[in-house]
Amino acid sequence: MMTYIVFILSVIFVVSFVGFSSKPSPIYGGLVLIVSGGVGCGIIVNFGGSFLGLMVFLIYLGGMLVVFGYTTAMATEQYPEVWVSNTTVMGVFLLGLLMEVMLVLYVLKSEEVGVVFKFSGVGDWAIYDTGDSGVFSEEIMGVAALYSYGAWVVIVTGWSLLVGVLVILEVTRGD
Amino acid sequence: MNPLIFTTILMTVLLGTMIVMMSSHWLMIWIGFEMNLLAIIPILMKKYNPRTMEASTKYFLTQATASMLLMMAIIINLMHSGQWTITKVFNPTASIIMTSALAMKLGLTPFHFWVPEVTQGISLTSGLILLTWQKLAPMSILYQISPSINLNILLTMAVLSILVGGWGGLNQTQLRKIMAYSSIAHMGWMTAVLAYNPTLTMLNMLIYIMMTLTMFMLFIHSSSTTTLSLSHTWNKTPLTTTLILITLLSMGGLPPLSGFMPKWMIIQELTKNNSIILPTLMAIMALLNLYFYMRLTYSTSLTMFPSTNNMKMKWQFETKRITFLPPLIVMSSLLLPLTPMLSILD
Repeated sequence: MMTYIVFILSVIFVVSFVGFSSKPSPIYGGLVLIVSGGVGCGIIVNFGGSFLGLMVFLIYLGGMLVVFGYTTAMATEQYPEVWVSNTTVMGVFLLGLLMEVMLVLYVLKSEEVGVVFKFSGVGDWAIYDTGDSGVFSEEIMGVAALYSYGAWVVIVTGWSLLVGVLVILEVTRGD
Repeated sequence: MNPLIFTTILMTVLLGTMIVMMSSHWLMIWIGFEMNLLAIIPILMKKYNPRTMEASTKYFLTQATASMLLMMAIIINLMHSGQWTITKVFNPTASIIMTSALAMKLGLTPFHFWVPEVTQGISLTSGLILLTWQKLAPMSILYQISPSINLNILLTMAVLSILVGGWGGLNQTQLRKIMAYSSIAHMGWMTAVLAYNPTLTMLNMLIYIMMTLTMFMLFIHSSSTTTLSLSHTWNKTPLTTTLILITLLSMGGLPPLSGFMPKWMIIQELTKNNSIILPTLMAIMALLNLYFYMRLTYSTSLTMFPSTNNMKMKWQFETKRITFLPPLIVMSSLLLPLTPMLSILD
């Protein structure tokens, strides 16, 4: 099972995305978002990116989702919608689940799934350790490169975040 | 809006388009599109009423979907070619998805439904920015990937856009919706020649922007958003009726005016490439556009449109100072004799 861990995690990823795309109340959406964030972190860690995975946990789950959870708790309604409370929500959730289950069965049965790219079976995403990939770890070098060669990206992202705050304040200000 | 914040947000709109136009890495292009979208939302919502909020939401949803499709095409391209630079798109699937995404951003048929609704819901100045500046970024990406675009899809979207732009504008009396349908039709002309000679796409974009700028500024000057209100400009500033006449006929593509130049060049380029039926159809469908421009000129400059006597006097607000209106009018009507200068574009 451990060789196919990435595939299993990706299935849980898609199922949790279906879970919040079927639009229950935001507090339950946030719950499923935590699961999907954790699973996504697991996928990244499996590919060797331990730093980035822990960054997802810390910043995304521990920072942004916590703030999201608090604001949603302030704005919540008396009877929030859960997946089984509304026929529409349950229908969409079951439809998404059904499509994912069918896709998984298709992948497990046939040798190769060639929808947009070739996905040749469950073993395609297993990590084979082929020894050292060098002295340095690739993903830490990537983060270092972001702050040296990719200085323009940092400037652009920083400016986007600042303008994002200004835009949100302008939009929610009203008259 | 606080002037400092308004300036910052407007500069970010400009910065977003600049990043799209000057980046060679697909991710930076996507970032530029997102920055542009994020920053233009409060500009669209400058007047705070449900109409503008609805228009901004529609704009945001369609453009965000287009950005998602663009990102998917970028990732498929990455998977099949292993690199992030824009040279050509290496996979047909990625090329089709990217063309659809950029068509959604431009407002080409079959993704044109948001253009009239969004343009109608926002103020005239915001509509001006929407229909001119926002077209620059997607068109520059289409220009850069033009060798690898699927010709069938591109030409189908172009011809359908010209058709929808012409037919859709026929029943309109609201000026912003007329300009929106005119934009759809012009985008169709631009993308029709994209695969044959992309320089003409840029020429058409340039002349289209000049003419649309002129039209919007004339509307802003007479503070009119409906045909009826425009037909009262003879009372306020009679000169603008003549200018509206000239500019509208130029937009319709009539010969001695500069709007004829891109249409002429495009038809010439298409016939050079042995397609005769297509430019014939396009030229015939441009007549639909000309019809509703003529209707506007008829009610504005050629007749004194019937109205009740107390509506004949338009309330005189302070005259708005419109920068660059005289040069714009000159450029959008008198550029045709400069056509031989196009030989420097090669």
